[in-house]
Amino acid sequence: MTTERPPGSGSEFNRRNLFKLSGLGLAAVPGLAACGRGFGGGGDDESGDGVTLNMVWWGDATRAEKTQAALDIFTEANPDITIKVEYQDSGPYQDKLATRFAANDAPDLMAMRMDSLREYADRGALLDLNEHADDIDLSGLSENAANLAEVDGSVFGVPAGLNAVGFVIRTDFAEQYGVAVPDGNTWSWDDLATFAQAISDASGQAVYGTGFDAQTLQNLVVWVRQQGEDLFTEDGKLGVSAATMEAWFTMIDGLRQSGAYPPAGFFEEIGGGADQSYIAQGKLASQIIPTNNFLSYNEACGGNLALLRIPGETQAVRRGQSVDCPHLWSVASASKHPKEAVKLLDFLTNDPEASLATGTTRGVPASSAVAEEIKGSLEPDDLVATEYLIGLQGEDLPRSYTYPPGGSAIADFLDVIAVEVEFGRQTPADGAAQFIAEATAAIEG
Amino acid sequence: MTTTPTETAVMPGAVAPPAPQRKPLSKFMARKRRQGGRGVRKDRAGYLFLLPWFIGMLFTVVPFFASLYLAFTDYNLLNAPKWIGLENFADMFRDPVLLKSLQVTFIYTFVSVPLSLAAALGVAMILNRGIRGLPWYRAVFYLPSLLGASVAVVLLWRYIFGFDGIVNAFLGWFGIDAISWTSDPDYALTTLIILHIWTFGSPMVIFLAGLRQIPTMYYEAAAVDGASKWRRFRSITLPLLSPIIFFNLIQSLIASFQTFTQGFVMNNGGGGPANSTLFYNLYLYQQGFNQFNMGYASAMAWTLLVIIAVFTAITFFTAKYWVNYDS
Amino acid sequence: MSQTLQTPRAAKPSSAKPNEDADALIERFGSTRKSRFTRHVILCAIGLVMMYPLLWLVSSSLKPNGLIFEDLSLWPTEWSPSNYTEGWNALEYDFGIYFSNSIIIVVLSIIGNLFSCSLAAYGFARLNFTGRKLFFALMLGTMMLPGHVLLIPQYIMFAKIGWLNTYYPLLVPNFLATNAFYIFLMVQFMRSLPQELDDAARIDGCGPFRTFWSIILPLCRPAFATTAIFTFISVWNEFFGPLLYLTDPELYTVPLALRQFIDSEGQSQWGQMFAMSVLSLAPIIGFFIAGQKYLVKGIATTGLK
Repeated sequence: MTTERPPGSGSEFNRRNLFKLSGLGLAAVPGLAACGRGFGGGGDDESGDGVTLNMVWWGDATRAEKTQAALDIFTEANPDITIKVEYQDSGPYQDKLATRFAANDAPDLMAMRMDSLREYADRGALLDLNEHADDIDLSGLSENAANLAEVDGSVFGVPAGLNAVGFVIRTDFAEQYGVAVPDGNTWSWDDLATFAQAISDASGQAVYGTGFDAQTLQNLVVWVRQQGEDLFTEDGKLGVSAATMEAWFTMIDGLRQSGAYPPAGFFEEIGGGADQSYIAQGKLASQIIPTNNFLSYNEACGGNLALLRIPGETQAVRRGQSVDCPHLWSVASASKHPKEAVKLLDFLTNDPEASLATGTTRGVPASSAVAEEIKGSLEPDDLVATEYLIGLQGEDLPRSYTYPPGGSAIADFLDVIAVEVEFGRQTPADGAAQFIAEATAAIEG
Repeated sequence: MTTTPTETAVMPGAVAPPAPQRKPLSKFMARKRRQGGRGVRKDRAGYLFLLPWFIGMLFTVVPFFASLYLAFTDYNLLNAPKWIGLENFADMFRDPVLLKSLQVTFIYTFVSVPLSLAAALGVAMILNRGIRGLPWYRAVFYLPSLLGASVAVVLLWRYIFGFDGIVNAFLGWFGIDAISWTSDPDYALTTLIILHIWTFGSPMVIFLAGLRQIPTMYYEAAAVDGASKWRRFRSITLPLLSPIIFFNLIQSLIASFQTFTQGFVMNNGGGGPANSTLFYNLYLYQQGFNQFNMGYASAMAWTLLVIIAVFTAITFFTAKYWVNYDS
Repeated sequence: MSQTLQTPRAAKPSSAKPNEDADALIERFGSTRKSRFTRHVILCAIGLVMMYPLLWLVSSSLKPNGLIFEDLSLWPTEWSPSNYTEGWNALEYDFGIYFSNSIIIVVLSIIGNLFSCSLAAYGFARLNFTGRKLFFALMLGTMMLPGHVLLIPQYIMFAKIGWLNTYYPLLVPNFLATNAFYIFLMVQFMRSLPQELDDAARIDGCGPFRTFWSIILPLCRPAFATTAIFTFISVWNEFFGPLLYLTDPELYTVPLALRQFIDSEGQSQWGQMFAMSVLSLAPIIGFFIAGQKYLVKGIATTGLK
C-alpha cells in the first residue's frame, strides 16, 4: 500500500482497480475471520443434531479439572448433549454474567451467587425449577438446603454444595508460642480474644492472633444471629439493629487496638487463593474460612490447621452458624434447552458419580443421601470439613433467608463502611448508623 | 518550524499542538477558483473518499443522540425504555456514591494534571538546553507514558506500593514507617496520581518540540539586556509556549476525567478501599453493566460530558488572558 | 479549539542527526562544566526513578516467588526462569492463544485505520467539495468527544446485531475511520505536500483516485508509520473494549488474560504474573524503539521540504 511510487510514474491503478482492491480489503476481513476465533464463524449453534449447553461458573484450574471430570461422565451417558464450559475468577465472573444477560446471551446453566439471586430471579431471568419437577428431583435436599433458593414458592436454583464458615487455627503456632488451642465447640468470643492476644504477645506481633473480615457478610451473619437478630428477615427486610452492628465493629476494633488483630491497612487485596492467604504466609494464627476451602488451606498451611466452630455459639442468645452454599446452580429462563439444562443439573445434584468426581470443591453434596454415599471415599481433609458440616446439619439451627434484592449492593457498601471504621475515619457507632440507613434504603429502594 | 509529525503525534487521542499559522490561505483560494467549473464531479469524488467516514459517523452520531434519549429513561435492557423525565438526574444528586466518585475524579484530575504538566515542562526545559544523548533521555522519559494505561503496569503498581513493596522498603531506609498504600483510603488514590505523573513523557515531548520552535535570538537579546533566568522564562518561554501548554492542559483534563482502567485494575474492579479509587467512569460502568441501570448510566455519561465541556470552555475563555497566539 | 486546530502546519522535516550534533555542540560550548554535570545528574536521577519500576518488574519475573519481596536487589540472587514457562500455561488457555488474539486484533486495526483514515484524510486535505468545512469541523468535534457518551448505545447496538463475544465491535469501527485523530494526523501531513503535485498530476490526466493512489499515498509513508505505531500501542493496551465485548476466555486479549492472574479464588503467582507482564510489555517497547528510528528515517528520506 505504501510502496514508493515517484510522482507521475505510470502506475496501472485507476479508480476502478482501487475500489476493487479496497473492496477486497474489506471482504478479506470476514473471510480471514470465518476461520478464526472471535468472528462468530465457528458456530456454537447446532451443527446438525444434538444440543450444546453453555455452562459457566467461577473458580480455579483445580475446580475446573474436577468439574470437567463430572461433565465427562454426563456427556458419555448423553452423547447428544455437548457442554461448553467457561469459568473465571469470581470478581469478573459476576460482571460478565451481568453483561451476558444484558446482551440476551445468557448461559444455560450458571453459578449464581446467593446475594445476587433475587436480582436475577425478580427480573424473570431464571427458570423456576418447580415447573420442571419431572426432570429434577429435589427431594433429597435437606429442608434448609432446599430453602436457600426459594422465592415466593418458586425455586430458582439448587445449592452446588453445602458449606458453612469455620474458624481455623494454626496448631503449630499455638504450640510454638505455648498457647492452648481452645475447645472449638464451646469457645466464646472472649476465649478468642485471649487466645489471639497471647499469640500476638508471644510472637511480638510477628504473628497476629486472629484476623477475619468485618465486611464479609457470611461472617457478619453469624454474629447477628448470635445476638438474636437476622441480617435479613423472612419477609425480605433488614433485621439487624444498629446496636448489633456497632457491637460487631467495636468487638473487632477492640481486638485491633490490643494488637490481637492486625492494624488497619494490613490486609491488602492481593490474591485470594489459599497459598497467598495471610494464614498460609504465617502472619496470622487464625481466621474464618468457608469449609469447602479447608482442604486447600490446610495444604497451604502444611497440614497444621484445626477446624473450630465460630466462637460464641454456646454462650449466645441463639445459634449463629448456619448451613449455606458457596453458590447455587441456576438455569436461565431464556435457555433454548431448558430440559437438557435441568437434566444436567439433576445429574450434578443427585448422581453420586458426579459428586465423587467433583469432590467437595463446592462443599458437601446438597443431597444428604449422596453426601453419605461419597463420605467413604473422601480425602482426610475433606472428611474433616464434611463431618463438621454434617454435624451442623443435624443440629437445630435457625433457618437462613434468601438475600433480598439489593443484597449485592449491601455487600458493596458494607465493604466501604468497614474500611472507614478500620481506619478510624468513622466511629463504630457512626458506621453502624450509616450501614442501617443505607441498607434500608437499598432494600426498599 | 521544526516540529515533525513524530514529535507532535504523541498519543492517540491527543491532538497536534496548535502552531502559528504559516501557510498563506491564498493558495487554497486559488485552488478553489481553478476548480470552480467542476463542482459536481469534484463533489462526488470527495464524497466517495469520505464514504467509510460517513458510515463511521453513523456509529457516532446515532449513539450520541440515543444516549441523550436514554438519559431520560429507566432502561434495564430487558424491558423497553420508560420515559421518566429528569428523575435520573435528580437521583444523581442524592446518590452519595456518585458524589464520591465525582470527588475522586476531581481530586485525581486537579492534582495529577498540573503536577505532570509541570514535570513535563521542567524536564523538557532541561533537555532543551542542549545536551548530549538527548534521544536517549527522551526515549527513557517518553516510554512510561506509552505503558501507563496498560494492565501490566497498573498491576505492577499494586506490588510496588504493596505493604512489603519496594516503596515501603525505600521509606524504611529513612526510618519512615510502612504505609498501607493500596488498602488505606487516604493513600490509595495517591498511588494512582503518582502513576499519572510517571507518564509525563507524552506532554514532555510536545513541550520539547515547542521549545525548539522558539528562536534562540530572543534569549540572546534578553541576555544582552541582562534579564535573569526567571525573567527570561516568564517573558519569553511561557508566552511563546502558551498555546502548547493550553493544548496539553485541555488534552490532559479530558483524558483524566475519563480514567477507568487504573481504578478498575488497581482494586479488582471495585474502586476500593472505601471507594477511594472509584473513578466516575468506573462507577458508570458498574451502574450500566453490573446493575443494568442503562438509563442512569446514560445520564451519568451526559453529566460528565457537560462537566468536561464546562472545564474546556473555562480553559478556552481564560485562554485569551494567558495564551499568546501571535508570536 | 477548532480555529487553533485547523491551522495548516508545515511539517518541516528535520533530520535527527544534525540536531544531535548541535545538541552536543551546545553542550560543549554553551555552558559551564559544572552546570552540564548537574544537568546530567538530574536527568539520570529522574530517568533511574522512572525506569526502576520496569527494571524491578523484569528482575522480579526472574526470581523465585518467595524472594520477590525479600530480595530487593535488581540482580536476582537466585534465578527462576520457570516463571516464564509456568506462567505461559498458568491460565485456562496458554498465553499463545491470548497473544495471537491480540495480534489478530492489532493487525486488522492497523489495516483498517490506514485504509479508512487515509481515504478520509485525502478527501479533507486535497479535495474540494460542498460541505467540506462542515464535515471537517464535525470530524474535529468527534476527536474531542469523550467516548463514554457513546458507550451504552453502542453496546446495545452491537448486542442487537449479535456481535457480542466477537471481535467485530473492536475492529469494524477502525475500518470506518472513526478514529479522528489519525485522520487529523494524515490531513496535517497531506496538507504539507506541495499543491503542485496535484496540479501536475491533473495536467497529466490523473483523476483524484489515481492522484491519491500513485502520488499522495507513497509520500505519506511517515504519517502511515506514525498511525500504525500508535494504533499498535493503543490497541495492544486496550482494556475496556475487550472487557466489555468479550466473554469467552478463548477470545481474551493479553490485558484481559493478565488480569485473570489476580484471581480471588484461584492461585496468584507473582513471579508468573510478572513474567507474563514483561512479555505483554515487550512488543510495545520493541515497537517504540523500532518505530522511533523508522519515523526519523522516514521523514528524512521523504526529501520534501
